[in-house]
Amino acid sequence: MKALNRRDFIKNTTAVTAGVATIASGISLTTFAAEPKESEPVTKEKRWGMLIDVNKLTESNIEDMVNACQEENGWGNEVHSRAEQKPNWIKKVKVKDKSTGKIDTLPMMCQHCEQPPCVDVCPTNASMKREDGIVLVDKHLCIGCRYCMMACPYDARSFVHEDLNNQKTHMPRGKGTVESCTLCVHRVDKGGVPACAEVVDSDAVIFGDLYDANSKINQTLKKIQSTQIRADLNLNTGVRYSGI
Amino acid sequence: MYAQQVTFKWDLVSNYTREIMNRLLIVFLALAFSNVFAHVEHHIPNLGAKATEFKDDGKEAHKRPNMSHKDSLIMQRKMHPELLLHKRDRTLRQGVRGGRASLEKCVDCHTSVDKDGEHIPVNAPEQFCSTCHQKVGTSVDCFSCHRTTPAEEM
Repeated sequence: MKALNRRDFIKNTTAVTAGVATIASGISLTTFAAEPKESEPVTKEKRWGMLIDVNKLTESNIEDMVNACQEENGWGNEVHSRAEQKPNWIKKVKVKDKSTGKIDTLPMMCQHCEQPPCVDVCPTNASMKREDGIVLVDKHLCIGCRYCMMACPYDARSFVHEDLNNQKTHMPRGKGTVESCTLCVHRVDKGGVPACAEVVDSDAVIFGDLYDANSKINQTLKKIQSTQIRADLNLNTGVRYSGI
Repeated sequence: MYAQQVTFKWDLVSNYTREIMNRLLIVFLALAFSNVFAHVEHHIPNLGAKATEFKDDGKEAHKRPNMSHKDSLIMQRKMHPELLLHKRDRTLRQGVRGGRASLEKCVDCHTSVDKDGEHIPVNAPEQFCSTCHQKVGTSVDCFSCHRTTPAEEM
């Protein structure tokens, strides 16, 4: 074996040191990058929506959706409220065609209108629509007047009648404020889908960006016939239905 | 005309008196201005704007230049509502997530644990929030909606 001369030794050592230094600096860089960064504000370039195919959902599917919403957002454990006072972020609704007697069962929640009546009537600006089309209640500003509950054609909002504790960290809720489906905004902002869409078949409830021509929801809406509930009100809802 | 008269009078005053007058003037100005500056330093006109400035530079309070640990404590005591308010509107209305400050993180660290290992609500009597708030007689509205203990492990 050839003995290492001085020049080769220095050459090899330098190469190894440089290599280690490169890798090590990479490691330290990633460690420092763990400092949490704020995400960018949402923009008008997106509009979140949901397409619900009623024919692909059984009644038990819809109950699963309701349970998933309760589990995710922590509502439904109110003990002091009467039945009609209890919150209902999403519910099972039966509609009957009077002439044919055909019955459809569908999940009903905030329809995330483009022209939301709840926002129009709010005296404190608490009821609001985000740039990306999600309609929310800013409970910091809500005074609990419940005008929005009166204005909503879908009966989507509820009022909290009792003191609560052990709320979910991502979903603060409290007595004296109005609340409704948030389209699981805490999940959507992290790139996820709403809890109700996650528990059922991905073809039965499609969640996505209505404006994105490559999204599944956009392409499906181009192909099949769909309806907005109470389309006559011209609210341009974000939640669409097919098969009714 | 008047200015000319004044210059004329100054010429009459002896050099010595003039020097004393100048020194007195400097002392007077120094006193007057130091008072103004002292006032500026103790008065923060818009806490919200100040909070934005602190948050924009993104450093932890006690690591900022010219800020001791004691100063950062005073800042936090005085300004925590503004620091949180600033973040809350951006998160809720504009969907800005992440970043360092959040009420969730305040609660994560500032809750105590009782003998059985259960978390005590941060707003309970004698706990982190209530000790000061009781003393100054202001109610905390955060926790009628926000969770008072760290989230359970999933």
